[in-house]
Amino acid sequence: MNQKKPSLIEKIAESLRIIPNLHQQEPDPANRITEPGDLTGFPPIEQWDHWEEYEATSWPKRNKRNYMIVPTTCFNCESACGLTAYIDKEDMTVRKFEGNPYHPGSRGRNCAKGPATINQIKDTDRILYPLKRVGKRGEGKWERVSWGEALDDIAGRIRKALQEGRNNEIAYHVGRPGHEGYMERVLQSWNIDGHNSHTNICSSGARFGYAIWYGHDRPSPDHANAKFILLISAHLESGHYFNPHAQRIIEAKMKGAKLATMDPRLSNTASMSDYWMPTYPGTEAAVLLAMVQIILKEGLYNRDYLEHWVNWQEYMGALKSGQPVTFEGFIEAMMEEYADYTPEMAEKESGVPAATIVEVARQIGEAGSRFATHNWRSASSGNLGGWAVSRCLHFLNVITGSVGTPGGTSPNSWNKFHPKVFSSPSGQKFWNELHFPKEYPLAYFEMSFLLPHFLKEKRGKMDVYFTRVFNPVWTYPDGFSWMEALSDENMFGCHIALTPTWNETAFFADYVLPMGLASERHDLNSYETHSGVWIAFRQPVLRAAAERLGKKFEFTYEANPGQVWEEDEFWIELSWRIDPDGSLGIKKHFISPYRPGEKVNINEYYQYIFDHTKGLPEKAAAEGISTLDYMKKYGAFVVEETSYNKHLEPLKPEVLAGSTTHPQTGVVSKNGKAIGVVVNGQAVVGFPTPSRKNEFYSQTMVDWKWPEYAIPTYIKSHIHEDNMDRSKGDYPLVPTFRLPTLIHSRSANAKWLYEISNQNPVWMHPEDAGKFGFQTGDLVKINTEIGYFIDKVWVTEGMKPGIVACSHHLGRWRRPQDAKGNRWGVNTVKIDNDGKGGWKMQTIEGIKPYNSDDPDSSRIFWADGGVHQNITFPVHPDPISGMHCWHQKVRIEVPSAKDKYGDVFVDTNKSFEVYKEWLAMARPAPGPNGLRRPLWMKRAFKPDESTYYIKD
Amino acid sequence: MKFGFIIDNRKCIGCHACTTACKAEHAVPVGVNRTWVKQVEKGTFPHTRRLFSVMRCNHCTDAPCVEICPVEALFTREDGIVDFDNRRCIGCKSCMQACPYDALYIDPNNHTAAKCNYCAHRVDIGLEPACVNVCPEHAIISGDMDDPESEISRLLGREQVTVRKAAKDTKPNLFYIDGDEASLNPMSTEKGGPYLWSNQVRGVGHYAKETEKLAFSSGDVLGAVLENSGHGATAGEIAGKGPIRSIDILMKQPRRVYDAPEKGVLWGWEVPGYVTTKAIAAGLFLVAFIASVTGVAAINDVADWWGLGLGLFFLGATGILLIMDLDRPDRFLNVLLRPQWNSWLVKGGYTLTVYGGLLTAIIAFKFFEISGWISDLIQYATAVFALILAVYTAFLFAQAKGRDFWQSPALVLHMLIHSLMAGGASFAIIGLFTGLQSDWFAYTNIIMVISIIANLLTMLVELTLTHPTSEARQTVDMIIKGRYKNNFWWGTVIFGNLLPLAVLIIMGASDPTMVALGGVVVLIGIYLTEKIWIEAPQKIQLV
Repeated sequence: MNQKKPSLIEKIAESLRIIPNLHQQEPDPANRITEPGDLTGFPPIEQWDHWEEYEATSWPKRNKRNYMIVPTTCFNCESACGLTAYIDKEDMTVRKFEGNPYHPGSRGRNCAKGPATINQIKDTDRILYPLKRVGKRGEGKWERVSWGEALDDIAGRIRKALQEGRNNEIAYHVGRPGHEGYMERVLQSWNIDGHNSHTNICSSGARFGYAIWYGHDRPSPDHANAKFILLISAHLESGHYFNPHAQRIIEAKMKGAKLATMDPRLSNTASMSDYWMPTYPGTEAAVLLAMVQIILKEGLYNRDYLEHWVNWQEYMGALKSGQPVTFEGFIEAMMEEYADYTPEMAEKESGVPAATIVEVARQIGEAGSRFATHNWRSASSGNLGGWAVSRCLHFLNVITGSVGTPGGTSPNSWNKFHPKVFSSPSGQKFWNELHFPKEYPLAYFEMSFLLPHFLKEKRGKMDVYFTRVFNPVWTYPDGFSWMEALSDENMFGCHIALTPTWNETAFFADYVLPMGLASERHDLNSYETHSGVWIAFRQPVLRAAAERLGKKFEFTYEANPGQVWEEDEFWIELSWRIDPDGSLGIKKHFISPYRPGEKVNINEYYQYIFDHTKGLPEKAAAEGISTLDYMKKYGAFVVEETSYNKHLEPLKPEVLAGSTTHPQTGVVSKNGKAIGVVVNGQAVVGFPTPSRKNEFYSQTMVDWKWPEYAIPTYIKSHIHEDNMDRSKGDYPLVPTFRLPTLIHSRSANAKWLYEISNQNPVWMHPEDAGKFGFQTGDLVKINTEIGYFIDKVWVTEGMKPGIVACSHHLGRWRRPQDAKGNRWGVNTVKIDNDGKGGWKMQTIEGIKPYNSDDPDSSRIFWADGGVHQNITFPVHPDPISGMHCWHQKVRIEVPSAKDKYGDVFVDTNKSFEVYKEWLAMARPAPGPNGLRRPLWMKRAFKPDESTYYIKD
Repeated sequence: MKFGFIIDNRKCIGCHACTTACKAEHAVPVGVNRTWVKQVEKGTFPHTRRLFSVMRCNHCTDAPCVEICPVEALFTREDGIVDFDNRRCIGCKSCMQACPYDALYIDPNNHTAAKCNYCAHRVDIGLEPACVNVCPEHAIISGDMDDPESEISRLLGREQVTVRKAAKDTKPNLFYIDGDEASLNPMSTEKGGPYLWSNQVRGVGHYAKETEKLAFSSGDVLGAVLENSGHGATAGEIAGKGPIRSIDILMKQPRRVYDAPEKGVLWGWEVPGYVTTKAIAAGLFLVAFIASVTGVAAINDVADWWGLGLGLFFLGATGILLIMDLDRPDRFLNVLLRPQWNSWLVKGGYTLTVYGGLLTAIIAFKFFEISGWISDLIQYATAVFALILAVYTAFLFAQAKGRDFWQSPALVLHMLIHSLMAGGASFAIIGLFTGLQSDWFAYTNIIMVISIIANLLTMLVELTLTHPTSEARQTVDMIIKGRYKNNFWWGTVIFGNLLPLAVLIIMGASDPTMVALGGVVVLIGIYLTEKIWIEAPQKIQLV
């Protein structure tokens, strides 16, 4: 097959040993798994314990390597795609990661970030041992401590706080969560309202728009079966859930579906679309309502669905009293409501041609129930009132009757697994107003980005503050305010950073505790990637491999590099140490369900969940293995193949027993709570809203002081054209978009990703660049409300005129005193503080090659690490959804001769002022009955109902 | 069985997964790539799009890299895969000159050539290449094109496909569905960054060695590097000098927004150096031989010794420069001992060796004062080898299919004439201190005058007549009015040719010193010319 026979000369030279003999007898070839000419994707699972393949780097020498293949999941973005680790049996190290063909979401395939996981595992800068600060916080001095010491110290501090009733001073603040249900159990067992998330800088805007319609807070489009797909997102390169969704979107396209994308910049997704609709940011809702109007006018709506699954009678009763409550009346009323939303009006607002809007609307109407949509970040998270974008987008799904249908858009929770854990503590008896303040009763997650301001206002204190995969100093708006707060021991008593690598926030920690990377810990994943429900099992692959060989472990860190722990075990261990005698009632939740009285171990925790997963015990039994072993072997399990139309699930007789049905609305209630609705004479589950239907009309909005938003509306953004003084250089800045290769601040430890993407210039249309005389590569000064940053210009036809955009991800930094980490993408900066709120950051050194055990570190060929933009943004809390409205009104300037690339300036006094301005827009609780928040609405880590009532 | 690839651009989303999966599978170092996704934007707002094109080895049926590889490190398997064996590679980089697709690089770990090998190690156990496996969109399709039922055959049968640079006649086995000229044709877009998301300030691959030296030498270098990237430069400086690399948006013209890092010039000064020393080594003998056969001029014994000795010396220098250019000089013997006979590097290597042997024999005969028909035969054989030596590089360059400018038939003439110029020049210099008679100076003078005129005509032909492709035209532009214009007009034309020509015509007949001086200028001119001729085509983007 391979080379020709050696020539005579070569033969002689080889036999005389003048040159090495390359023609020695090769070992027996490795086994083929297919017929010659046929190729397949993956080794058969029967051979995963003992998989022989040739080492690529010494090929064509047939150097056979023996691997154990262990499934786990990726932790770069939120998709949790399947990975398989190839563990070389000779030295028990991971050689590479490939996909997991048994993973239902990713189906064996990955994006660039999946294979790059190996970079992160082998990162020579990673943190391997627990560290404790010495000197002042943020000074950059650390000493190694033992895990025992750290655990005891932290546990003691928590115990003391709990004993003193300072439960609200303990919090766990997480960036990328995972851990289905895990932390809920831990924190609720501690009886703290201590969960804080990143959601309000991410998706809470979109979530609110959905929730106000139908109680579910995210969409799950069934792209693969759609006829028309409308994205207000960039799902062919980013977003929840990039790779799984991108697969299915293209699959649909290949089957003939059309794709339309709203985005002011030419994303890869926009580029691949049949219709690129470059909307002025924040005007998407106007376009969507214009489409609704066209569909209504042209009779393309789904009468059956609208009639039965929208609370139109409630709407007619509340807002159209006096008119006959008929369906036809409803349609007419809607047409009246949205009469202003003509295609021409939408064109004027958005810049998208009216003809395109009409054409797309017709196609959507014709796609009917096979209409898939998604709205992730961008519009909903960029704009004041951004939640109205997802609300209007869902409106399109409602009128086309494509909610929960094949090829339509389901609620996320229909496609998400809910684990049954062995011990569920009841809801905490505390309501932490640092997370859910009165001003934001409808906020769809914790007001996490306001925390530094709340602490500055002395609303409370954080005595024990955990951060995990969370880097607010860098990722959040107003990072300097975070630095100020984190530096102050009166605001944060003890900050524990749980992180595998250094980051800007960990620089301001008291403890830096190294936690496992993607393949070094346990986790349970389930995401709404398509119709169906699946679970995937993240496992520490080196531990799993050693266990297959019969080795026993008490803790995962024993198999991990250095002393890298996994969070799951950390929380068990910490909880035991907080409550050693069980007097706080915590310990009982961490007792093994299989070994009475003994500490639960991680295998048992998951064993219990898997034993109680629908269909899994049977499947495992068929193979003669335990459920846990099944998951360890395959790494994933399909709980439901498809999950359509779940709102039509009949209420079971035992559930119906003792319930009442409202004669007009048909809502079935039990114990004062709505549990279903009678439609077409049948009692079915419906949607988790007060009406159990899609709420076109929201009494909740009225009750909570926002009557103007009782029905889907277009809300003008804070960056609306009306607010721009173009003569002074005002522009809207779109700062939110992701690249397919990077993920926030957790991919700078991946060299293969950074060599592809390492700078983030400001996109500008040639017309706009021309106004300032800019060419690509020129420096530009972007003035925000609180400061400025200096970046380079990227002049492009792929940007809507009048708008500028800049990706985050890049511009990571460390100060000279900080530990070295992520050096593929971290600039060294000088930060000066004038003591009066003025902060100046300047790049001293860009990215440069360095010596390490990885020869690649000396081959870094790029020097630019990008510019940190988020730190120059003030907080913009949306008064309703609580979402940080990311888009910025900026003033563009030609920099002065002294301004340098990468310069950043911020005045935190101004940040505080902007915070106050936005806070003033809120309409605080209480709502009806002295409530903090509508009872029917979801709340993360839901506390005991008694805490919902404000007691004065 | 014949494996091929389809890149289905209806599906490719430009995510770079293939790039990193390949890096993982083959432990590909930072800076170099076996596969990457070139990105090009075209159109004007809002009628614009970003094109993604997966770039890699095309596994050509007539693979020029296999043809040129002197040591059979690159080879075509029976199943059509173009594979390589880095244990044989000497790092001569000729494959990188031969490949029109820029698919190869020098691995900075082992300093040998590498490229996509279709994951032959996987194929042999029945697995798809790593990129095919990872691709979220199944936009990369592998398979046996001889099997009519395979997915790849079905697509090839039904879809409109295109290949890169069909005119190169390499018969690529990588096909694009919905391939776009703006992306597949390297000449449609400007090369070089900074790109949208990436910048490059240091060398990669072959030049990674230099990078390491640079990186750790001194702070000054780093400072320069940072400044070069615009890092640390103030707005004032940038405004003064203009951005380091400013790409104007050319309305309606496509623009490259991502490409793999630039690999730099692969054949540096050593190659024009060895072409020059080789011209001298061959020319010295040819000029003396012509004189002796035709009897137009007589050479004395001292000059004859010098001629032979210097011939051997420059031949040795040629060998040393050749080896110096190798990234694996320790393996230089492979050229002779693991020969791939179609390669002109091998033919050249043997020519060098045989020529060296013949020269040595002549010297031995001369020393022992042996004459007779064997001696005469050796003289004639040496002359033949001197001719081959003088021109074989033209055939080697012609094998370098990636470089259009070298595909000129006139290159043979160019090499031969340079050799005669070099021989004449060298003997003119030798003559000065070996007491040669005026007839010898007249002879070298006329050799030089004629060959310089011929050289000018040849260059005229090379630069005007023979290059139909835009790549070659761009090279010519680069030489006569681009970055090499000063080197060419001042160095080659005026200094290297017109000046000596004038000197030789005006003063050559009367003043041997001027002839010798003219010779010095001619030799420098040859090096300057070869430097341009060898370097300029390497600056043309292949992707």
